[in-house]
Amino acid sequence: MILAFRNTCTVFSHYVLNPKPYFPLLLISTQNFSVPNSTLTSSSPSLCNKARCCSTFFTNSMAAGDLSNPSSEKLEKQFEDFRHHLEESGNLRERIRVVATEIESVTRHIYASLLLVHQSRPVAEVLEKAKSQIGELKELYSRLSEIVRECPGQYFRYHGDWKSETQIVVSLLAFMHWLETGTLVLHNEVEEKLGLTPTEFGLDVEDYLIGICFMSNELPRYVVNQVTAGDYDCPRKVLKFLTDLHAAFRMLNLRNDFLRKKFDGMKYDLRKVEEVFYDVKIRGLAANGDSAGEKQVQGQS
Amino acid sequence: MLLHAYKLSLIVMAPKPQRIRHLAGATWQSAMKKARTMSTETETESSSMKDAFSKYADYLNNLNDKRERVVKASRDITMNSKKVIFQVHRISKHNKEEVLDKAVKDMAAVTDQYVSRLVKELQGTDFWKLRRAYSPGVQEYVEAATFCNFCKTGTLLTLDEINAAFLPLSDPSVEPLQINILDYILGLADLTGELMRLAIGRISEGELDFAEKICSFVREIYRKLTLIAPEMDDPSDMKQKMETMLQSVMKIENACFSVHVRGSEYIPMLGSADPSYPLLGMPDVD
Repeated sequence: MILAFRNTCTVFSHYVLNPKPYFPLLLISTQNFSVPNSTLTSSSPSLCNKARCCSTFFTNSMAAGDLSNPSSEKLEKQFEDFRHHLEESGNLRERIRVVATEIESVTRHIYASLLLVHQSRPVAEVLEKAKSQIGELKELYSRLSEIVRECPGQYFRYHGDWKSETQIVVSLLAFMHWLETGTLVLHNEVEEKLGLTPTEFGLDVEDYLIGICFMSNELPRYVVNQVTAGDYDCPRKVLKFLTDLHAAFRMLNLRNDFLRKKFDGMKYDLRKVEEVFYDVKIRGLAANGDSAGEKQVQGQS
Repeated sequence: MLLHAYKLSLIVMAPKPQRIRHLAGATWQSAMKKARTMSTETETESSSMKDAFSKYADYLNNLNDKRERVVKASRDITMNSKKVIFQVHRISKHNKEEVLDKAVKDMAAVTDQYVSRLVKELQGTDFWKLRRAYSPGVQEYVEAATFCNFCKTGTLLTLDEINAAFLPLSDPSVEPLQINILDYILGLADLTGELMRLAIGRISEGELDFAEKICSFVREIYRKLTLIAPEMDDPSDMKQKMETMLQSVMKIENACFSVHVRGSEYIPMLGSADPSYPLLGMPDVD
């Protein structure tokens, strides 16, 4: 019933309704009274007032005044402005969502390309394919920043609309960067890769950190598959990296929010990698890589 | 510790026992040693990570501290705005002026003391980022200010009027805090609940005309917001408020209806203290 009423209200322009606002009210009050003739009485206060006008003329003047006095025009204008403003921001949001959806679909492609590393394809080949798609992301982010530039200072009003997509983007870039260099991509490096300018449309630090947590989720699977494919040195490298990363994250004072939850999940990745490392180690499989590493260290010292 | 236990259980279940045999306890120690030597290998790399993360830590600390302060300021605004609302509810037929004057004064105090603190804490930035931290306070403030103003003048205090009062609170060098449309509208939605209470109170004291004025005012607000509600940033939240609002409107209408239909029965009982009440003179009004 309420819904039906609401629809009627939105369908009819409120200019139509304005001179006689009792039409929708009639609808409301009917749901509450079972006696049919009481509806009429209760839903038309102007009638009541007229019936009593000699006794309560004050009421009458006030009730009538509400629709015709200048302050109600001011009100009319205020709400008209509100509606206008909200419609505009709604449009803006829609445009942002369109871009965000496109970003999402590009990330899906990049992710699909990256998944090949689990199938022991050469890293260089996988990276080349994935990297070629970063350009698209860059372009989408420049479109996004252009849209957001239309409403200066309101970056965080719409932030929720591209937040999760951006976190995925960060995780993919970080994974690629790690595959390539074995190091963690830093916040400003991600901004550079995406062509973002911190003053206009920057990367939220929390989004960056969450993205890094997402990347850590990918590592246990990578380690398992690398070992299966015969790369016995991989667990050592990953374990080292993940231990450092986990240590770095522990420097942060987190609130009880999503980032905290993701960070708490990171220790399971760490444990899984430790297990793989241990399994390889315990069976002496890592012997080759290890002795090489040991020699190197000894040589250094 | 837990990890160790887990690893031990793995050894027991390990599928290739012959491999385990040549695994002396020394393996563990060498593994540990390895971990330590490894960290020297990549010292520079991990220290750059540490540097970066200490920057992120500073950023998060600052942001969280600021958010915490803003939440506190917002909570104070909520508390004191509530007090103003209660003050307005103390209204009765004979002390209207007095009660409202005090309410207006209290409202001004809330603006001067607590809103100005919020403004100070925000330092002209993060209006949208920290909106969720101060939004409840601002909504309550809007509710109290509009409530007070309605009782005083019978009209709706507009957003521009509220925001104009906010301007002098800000340091001219920073962007001033202005209430956004969303918080204003959400505050208005809450206003209806207070007006409903006020209307019921007025009816029980026999001030029918005031109650009816409230009724038409609330209807008007509800009608205006009906058009706006679906356009809000968070329509589901607003939808719920709209439903509560409709309940309030109907409560007032029903109360007005009851008094209207059975007015002649109510008045001698409730309005007996005030023999000048107009309806008393004409019991056959219907």
